[in-house]
Amino acid sequence: MNLLWQGIVNGVLLGGLYALMALGLALVWGVLNIVNLAHGALIMLGGYVCYYLFTGAHIDPFVALPITAAVLFVVGYAIQRRLLNLVIRAPMFNTLLITFGLDVVLTYAAQIAFSADFRTVNPSYAGANFSLLGATVPVVRLLAFVIALALTFGLWLFLTRTPLGRAIRATSQNLVAARLYGVEPRRIYALTFGIGAALAGAAGALYGVVSQLNPYIGTSLTAKSFVIAIIGGLSNPLGVIVGGLVLGLVESMTSLYIGATYTNVASFGILVLVLIVRPTGLLGRTA
Amino acid sequence: MSESLLDVRNLQAGYGEMPVLKDVAFHIGEREIVALVGSNAAGKTTLLRALSGVLSHSGSVRYAGEEIANLPSDAIFARGLVQLPEGRQLFGDMSVHDNLLMGAYRRSDRGNLDADLGEVYRIFPVLGQRKRQLAGSMSGGEQQMCAMARALMARPRLLMIDEMSLGLAPAIVDQLLDVLQSIRSRGVTVLLVEQDVYSALRIADRGYVLEHGHIVREGRARELADDPEVKRAYLGV
Ligand SMILES: Nc1ncnc2c1ncn2[C@@H]1O[C@H](COP(=O)(O)OP(=O)(O)O)[C@@H](O)[C@H]1O
Ligand SMILES: [Mg+2]
Repeated sequence: MNLLWQGIVNGVLLGGLYALMALGLALVWGVLNIVNLAHGALIMLGGYVCYYLFTGAHIDPFVALPITAAVLFVVGYAIQRRLLNLVIRAPMFNTLLITFGLDVVLTYAAQIAFSADFRTVNPSYAGANFSLLGATVPVVRLLAFVIALALTFGLWLFLTRTPLGRAIRATSQNLVAARLYGVEPRRIYALTFGIGAALAGAAGALYGVVSQLNPYIGTSLTAKSFVIAIIGGLSNPLGVIVGGLVLGLVESMTSLYIGATYTNVASFGILVLVLIVRPTGLLGRTA
Repeated sequence: MSESLLDVRNLQAGYGEMPVLKDVAFHIGEREIVALVGSNAAGKTTLLRALSGVLSHSGSVRYAGEEIANLPSDAIFARGLVQLPEGRQLFGDMSVHDNLLMGAYRRSDRGNLDADLGEVYRIFPVLGQRKRQLAGSMSGGEQQMCAMARALMARPRLLMIDEMSLGLAPAIVDQLLDVLQSIRSRGVTVLLVEQDVYSALRIADRGYVLEHGHIVREGRARELADDPEVKRAYLGV
């Protein structure tokens, strides 16, 4: 019983972070109709930015998080303007190819720049924890969870309550009408991709605190984000919370009852299941 | 005659290699209601796309004394040249209220929005009752009202409407035509593009007939409506 409770706590905490990881991918997918295969690489980059702010400039990782997000926003905005605008509204295959190429480039650039060594952002309070009804709750994981949910909720507020957020949704729903009503799609696309990258950066900063960084983590993080986006759907950013919690709990339970090496099998088992039960998820928008 | 609000000359546009508008010329005076009619595939929608800047074109488009041909669509919109497109093109998964706010997306006078929202909800009470409903879930007539309200929220100087009456009940068409007459009396100029010649000509001052990418007839609305050629072509008699 205690073990199960601990598993649930672990899964929920992990799920919050997963939600944030997937949030940027789902946003970009829904608005630009691009499945960004380099999304995990952007999370990885965010992790390193935070790592160097912490080890180089001694900035607390939770303070470094907004800086990391800002850096990644600029990176994402530039990638969209210089590269992805070339393939906007191109067939899905072209966008997959180009973002896959981007993923490869970012991963190898990171290997050259940061080496393949494992890194972790280790503030003095990294080991702090408390007990919740018998389960151990690491403070940094709880903080990461709270920040992830706050950012997800913040994005939802931005999209539904601000003129710019409405313009982003309008562009994703009806490009022709958005243009006729004074929206500049190129600006909206660059902004959206920038926000997606900023969210990836924030997720990467948190990931570096609760786990280990190396240049190759991106691929599996992209895949997990993809699973979560499909479970949660693309029409509402809050959907990723559901997807993130499902994946977090399944992974946590799998590692508890079957073995830690099987967590990936479990998460991709879910992907297959979801695609069988609700294949519309793959079309970029839930029906 | 004083200078027109819109003066189009030698306009050409098409898709890829296919020319659709071959040499279109017409003008609209300030505060006029002008009907542009023509059968299916005549090029009416293509013309509006070109004027709104979402389709590249050549020729001259003078609007309010300024050449606006091939300006980007957002710059044209910002000058008050607003289109209510064919098929309404609402933001279907957004609420009625959010659709109306999107009409005002480029407006800098945010302080006036609430008053204008109140005004369009007064003109279309049914929209006021459905503020929070998703626009795509409403009936065709309600959607057309929503599209009209969204366009009004942009505070148009020249409102171009594509196939407003298509598929709508006559009572709703009448209501929308009344709205057009009342906004004209407040200084808005209207270009009404219709396949349904008679609903458009009923409230228009003047009209043009577009066929195969050319203007083939023009005149007072009453004269056009009585023109035997027009009758034959559009009434199917
Ligand atoms: N997006 C498009 N691509 C290619 N051809 C088009 C497109 N839209 C319209 N056309 C063609 O252009 C011609 C004029 O169409 P349109 O302007 O929609 O006519 P109308 O609005 O008068 O019915 C038609 O022959 C139509 O098939
Ligand atoms: Mg048409």
